[in-house]
Amino acid sequence: MTMTRRSLLSLIGASGAVGLASPLLGPAQAATGLTAAEWGGDVVEAMKQIAAKQNLAQFNWVLHQGGAGAILPKIKAAWPKVDYDYIAGWEGSFNSMIAEDWVETITAADVPNLADIPEKIMMRDAKGNVKAVPRAVGGIYFGYRTDTAPFAVTKIDDLFDKRLKGAICWPGPTQSMMLQIVALALQGGGNESNMEPGWKLMKDLAKSGNIGRIAVTDVDFTNSFTSGETSVGFFAEPSWAAVAKNFKITRLTKQAGMATFLYQSGFAVMKNRPNRKATCDFINFAISPEMSALYAKVAGEAPLNGKAAIPPELAHLAFTPKEFDSFVHVPDYKVVLSQQDAWAKRWESDIAPLL
Amino acid sequence: MNGRTKRLGDRILGGAMVAMLALMLAFLVTPLLVTCLLAFDSRSFLGPLPPPALSLRWFERLASLDYVATGLATSLKIALLATVIDVLVGTAAAVALDRGGFRGRGLLMAAFLSPLIVPAVVIGLALLLFLSRIGVIDGFTRLLCGHVVITLPYVVRTVLASLAGRDRRLTEAALVLGATERQAFWSVTLPLIRSGMVTGAVFAFAVSLDDVAVSMFLTDPSTYTLPVALVSSMRASFDLSIAAAAVLLMAVTAVLIIVLERFVGFDRLLGQGLFRS
Amino acid sequence: MSAVTIARPQELAIPAPARMSLLLLAPGLLILLSIFALPLLGLVLESLKQYVPGRVGSAVDASLTLENYRELATPSFAGVLYETFKLSAAASLAGLMAAFPLAYCIVRRFSPRQRAACIGLLVMLVLLSMLVRTYALELAFGSVGIARPLLLALGISPTSRGYIEVLVEAGLLHAVMPICTLTLLGTIQNIDPRLCDAAQSLGAPAWKAHLGITVPLALPGLVSAFLIAMTFAISAFVIPMVLGKGRVLFLSNTIYTRFSDVANYPSGAAVSIAMLVISLLVLSLASLAHRGKGARS
Repeated sequence: MTMTRRSLLSLIGASGAVGLASPLLGPAQAATGLTAAEWGGDVVEAMKQIAAKQNLAQFNWVLHQGGAGAILPKIKAAWPKVDYDYIAGWEGSFNSMIAEDWVETITAADVPNLADIPEKIMMRDAKGNVKAVPRAVGGIYFGYRTDTAPFAVTKIDDLFDKRLKGAICWPGPTQSMMLQIVALALQGGGNESNMEPGWKLMKDLAKSGNIGRIAVTDVDFTNSFTSGETSVGFFAEPSWAAVAKNFKITRLTKQAGMATFLYQSGFAVMKNRPNRKATCDFINFAISPEMSALYAKVAGEAPLNGKAAIPPELAHLAFTPKEFDSFVHVPDYKVVLSQQDAWAKRWESDIAPLL
Repeated sequence: MNGRTKRLGDRILGGAMVAMLALMLAFLVTPLLVTCLLAFDSRSFLGPLPPPALSLRWFERLASLDYVATGLATSLKIALLATVIDVLVGTAAAVALDRGGFRGRGLLMAAFLSPLIVPAVVIGLALLLFLSRIGVIDGFTRLLCGHVVITLPYVVRTVLASLAGRDRRLTEAALVLGATERQAFWSVTLPLIRSGMVTGAVFAFAVSLDDVAVSMFLTDPSTYTLPVALVSSMRASFDLSIAAAAVLLMAVTAVLIIVLERFVGFDRLLGQGLFRS
Repeated sequence: MSAVTIARPQELAIPAPARMSLLLLAPGLLILLSIFALPLLGLVLESLKQYVPGRVGSAVDASLTLENYRELATPSFAGVLYETFKLSAAASLAGLMAAFPLAYCIVRRFSPRQRAACIGLLVMLVLLSMLVRTYALELAFGSVGIARPLLLALGISPTSRGYIEVLVEAGLLHAVMPICTLTLLGTIQNIDPRLCDAAQSLGAPAWKAHLGITVPLALPGLVSAFLIAMTFAISAFVIPMVLGKGRVLFLSNTIYTRFSDVANYPSGAAVSIAMLVISLLVLSLASLAHRGKGARS
């Protein structure tokens, strides 16, 4: 991680902005001890590097165990006592936390850098208050391992090709918010509110014998690809990034007919904690342009701050407005999230027996 | 059937038995060998065997991760405590179940076995919700409760198994010869079930040390076990540190067994039952 | 040639006072009650509550309903139930059949050195992390494993459902065998070897002697070992997930779906309670059948 003159200048400029937002005037303050729940691997590494660049907050990093789902019952069990100042999450976990009213409302006064984050992506409660601070965006999309895939997949119909027997790694019902079925539905002329075409295609795909593995966790997918067991899949950014570290992959994010979905990763500030201001200040620092760029570089998710540069290795997530309209499908997340349970059950009864 | 065909039959079956045992042992040993290969795998991902090159990177990583030492200490403490509790409580319960003399014996035996049927994820969640409701929020206590629940059935069952197989007339003889109940238990019954207790203790320790599913619900920000720490450090990339940790554990076990065999003698530890070969 | 029968040990002539038994049971019962039965009761309550999609578990004021159980009356759930029990029973039986001769050899045939080495190996296997072991098996026998050329030569498709069922069986077997063997050690130790010797000197071939003497005497231990193996296999999670490629589903996998980001705890609780009840039924049937044969368990 080298410091170029340009990044140094931009950092000085940014710390000026940060300086206005944080009370760094007068004698140095002792760092506030905060507890944060983050994902392991590259994400917590990125956050540790970000935390090292400031000295107002000191962290006890608690890692998510297997997805964000394991922390939810812990919060519910301890409520109203809360052990975490912020919890990193995505649409899937934020939705439940907001519904349970566990998170603080974030205003522009709390986190001024919110102004640089696209409004549309922010998660709100029923009253329209912003409830989570997005920091980065990742993709959920089709792709394949360039060296081992039997042929170059370019459309959904290719998934049914006989040459792909046993070669597909398909996400299970706890992964990807079942957007894989939405992708199939789009192919069949439906969408998240009309899923029947998707279920029909899914049944056909299950019967075809082309699905080698159903990935139950992120690691399943990565291992399946790196061990060469399967070579074509639909999965979220962290897994693609993990595979890409060692193998050449083709990401079908800008492929007509194969929908790309975007999810946000961000911060949820918990209620009933004593250090709300310190937490918000850190979050504001973390989503500043250069910290966003740092996060993007280390964690592999594209920055949401409009002023941050997207690193070249994340070019597949940089869309011009025209590209965005053609390739990215933004589902109505209200529908998607409220249907999770029903879709999972339908998967179990209709699809799983066919595999 | 004359003698020669009988012995021939025996010889063939004996040969078949040896072949089957050899196959079984090979099957059992294969994953151990593969684990060793994985622990020294130079690749940073899970790839097909054999590894192209060997390296110590995973051991170095294990040594460098700051939460390994804390996690290991907690894991060992919990495993030891849980095992001790299990052996004491479980042996007492097994002895009581074996003695009988009260109604509902069968039901109680099933009850002691039932934690094994409930998936660990469910036990973890149920305990989390229950303990929080009664105000037990300390991570260590919660973990201990969870681990005792999932390991106790092993001890009860193995001790029951050895109790069931023993010759009761021995205890009876001791009583007839003038020993009190307590003396008869300590000097006759207990040595007979010693292997059951040791086996149960080994299972309990092993299950506690390896558990992830129950522990992940019961840890708190300051208390966590080693397997949970290792598993959560993987987000999407498979961290082969767990293979390195497994190899280290294998090495420690091997050393312990060699030491035990040399100084204490395995047979003395496990007991030889009534009939020494 | 008549089978050799054994006079079974007589019932203890001196009756055991119930009070002593209950005192010994007390701590175990206390633990079971406080940290198992009561939490389970909480789970039963949870399973009767209404789940609102998007929430975490049931709300505090949720209404009571049997919906979560009604949802389980589907062919797919029955399919998962059947798959779980079928594969578990097969693996447990196979494990027993493999463990018994092994345990016998360890106790009666090996020298002390060989015995220590073998028991050491078994203990190492018991201590081996389930996750690592399962991935090791996958890399050895899975679709990209070293056995792949052999499988293809035999015409077996490594990604076919039949083969992954076999793989899951192998995984369960590998986990269950050391446990069964170690459990049976104690049982075999307490069987008098002279009985077999006597039978053989009276003219029985070795296999007949063992079938007629060693096996019946070891029956209580065998049933215990079977039950331990079976209960372990039923609640397996990692093995079907990794070796079954997520396609061979066990009940724990179904439960996991409900305990993840989709926090439908009421449904997960319902599946767990259903699983517990059905398993207890099956296991007590197995126990009863054994007890019905006249031997004491």
